[in-house]
Amino acid sequence: MSTPLLSVRDLHVEIHTPRGLLKAIRGISLDIDSGDSIGIVGESGSGKSITLKAILGLLPKNARVTSGEIYIEGVSLDSLSASKRSELLSEKIGIVFQDAIAALNPVMTVGHQIAEVPRRRLGWSKEKSHQRAIELMELVGIPEAEHRFTVYPHQLSGGLRQRVAIAIALSGNPQLIFCDEPTTALDVTIQAQVLRLLMDLREKEKTGIAFVTHDLAVVNEICESIHVMYAGRFVESGGVQESFARPIHPYTYSLLKSAPDMEHQVERLFSISGEAPDLTKTVAGCPFAPRCFAATDICRTSEPGLQSIGSSSSACHHASTFMQSLPRSEAARNGAGL
Amino acid sequence: MSEVVLSTQDLTKHFVGKTTLIGKLRGKRPLSIPAVDGVSIEIVAGSTVGLVGESGCGKSTLGRTLVGLYTATGGSLVLFDRQMGVKRTLEERRMVQMIFQDPFASLNPRMKVGDMLKEILLFHKLVTKENVDARCAELMTLVGLPLNALQSYPRQFSGGQRQRIGIARALALEPKILIADEAVSALDVSVQASIVNLLLDLKRDLGLTMLFISHNIAIVRQVSDRIAVMYLGRIVEEGLTEDVFSNPQHPYTKLLLSSVPKMTPGSKLGEAPQGELPSMQSKFVGCRFRSRCPISTVACETTDPQLLDIGGQNHMVACINL
Repeated sequence: MSTPLLSVRDLHVEIHTPRGLLKAIRGISLDIDSGDSIGIVGESGSGKSITLKAILGLLPKNARVTSGEIYIEGVSLDSLSASKRSELLSEKIGIVFQDAIAALNPVMTVGHQIAEVPRRRLGWSKEKSHQRAIELMELVGIPEAEHRFTVYPHQLSGGLRQRVAIAIALSGNPQLIFCDEPTTALDVTIQAQVLRLLMDLREKEKTGIAFVTHDLAVVNEICESIHVMYAGRFVESGGVQESFARPIHPYTYSLLKSAPDMEHQVERLFSISGEAPDLTKTVAGCPFAPRCFAATDICRTSEPGLQSIGSSSSACHHASTFMQSLPRSEAARNGAGL
Repeated sequence: MSEVVLSTQDLTKHFVGKTTLIGKLRGKRPLSIPAVDGVSIEIVAGSTVGLVGESGCGKSTLGRTLVGLYTATGGSLVLFDRQMGVKRTLEERRMVQMIFQDPFASLNPRMKVGDMLKEILLFHKLVTKENVDARCAELMTLVGLPLNALQSYPRQFSGGQRQRIGIARALALEPKILIADEAVSALDVSVQASIVNLLLDLKRDLGLTMLFISHNIAIVRQVSDRIAVMYLGRIVEEGLTEDVFSNPQHPYTKLLLSSVPKMTPGSKLGEAPQGELPSMQSKFVGCRFRSRCPISTVACETTDPQLLDIGGQNHMVACINL
């Protein structure tokens, strides 16, 4: 087996908060290769964004990686000096954030911001990087690129701003793009355009994509594999089609059922009772147990690890049997659908 | 035929900008943005109407005009056979209440939940001083919050609970019509579902009529009896939710619906629609959607399409090419 582009092993991240030490990520392992498209989903506070930031070394000051290894093409980041590490990361990975207006520099023209990476990082001449910036702007579908080179972020619409952010992420020719909720702030029509762009890049340039979102329908349409995150851990990992058709963790099942579907109307939306656990406190047993319809005594005392089931994996004591614990009314309504 | 509780005729709300003194002397007209530009809708008692459209299409402005937060610049608004004037009476204000998107911003951070509810109840003289505590407790039970919530500040609650407080505040005035403006958009999927279910339960139990404004089309589909699609200040399609979803007529509705990602396993991203929402301008000539429309013709440049019942099925569409 070849070495994956990015490999994360048992990553732990802690955040110092006024309320105490928050265990934001509690052991995450992940492999991504070029051309892959993985989706990481979960509720707010489950640690999705922190995972991406921890890999890139962009954690806020009050957070730190306490253990775990990150490898890029087999090279451990720990073995590199700080400057070498950031050089390698910025060469291989680009990132697109949710809020483009906050991610862009308001007093710099967008063209300048896109050309900055080739100029600084690759040492290109002004003309050459200018040319490259125009190419990138055309690639991400910004009309009138020549003219738009000299405008400021506030002069652009939300969709165009996000395209500029993607162009910046691409400017260093990365093999992998991290997307942190890049379309959450956009309208559906513009979202469809941005997603299409990312998919085209993946097909044409073989760019790998790691997509963090809370929108399951987006993951369904653009990703091949999915990691469902809860309380700082992956609770289910597998192919998107398999997980959507036959979830093997009650949390995945609940998330899928509570997401409203465009194509079918239901009498009543399935809702998950309770709230996500407070990670500043030690959680005994499975962190999802208090909200789980299938929880038994063992769930309240021992936390299940990620176990392989076929080609997927699930962190549930009842991974293969939890569907039988569904409230009868719910099971009847599902029929053969799930 | 059920009773129509809310109806508008050519309702408009234009936001007028300022001109400089020199501009005024030169006779320059201030910039006028027609956020709502001729909307005629009817809402039947006990029904839920979903209002969808892209950001900037005027859906929130319409909601706020209906509640009375904005004064309409033209057209008429009738609530329960009463023509709404510029100034509404207390009773008229009580009839329509609103739930806002951001429960962080719409609750006073320095007021305990109980004090906030008491203030509203006593100001509107809905209960006597002796009964006010009992009524507050009743409201908490109604929205599924514990009674000790009354002694807490908004910051002590999670997003979902805060939205429940927002709902309790709206219900305190015993409204007939509830306008939910992106009420669940800021919430996580799991919490979203419980708030939507709460709204539907309350609507049924209290016999409310609801206008549900959201850009999340999948949610609107789950809650609405009828759906109205808005584009640049106008309603372009309106009909029974099932009809509009299964048989969309207006090219904009088709574009909007096809852009929504689907949950069906194996569904793949399709071709992306072209174009973006143009900015509002004071004068539109012809059809507003024509710059993005795949079926526009020369006639669209001059004819302003009217919302018409095309098949006689109470399914209204504003397009001349159908």
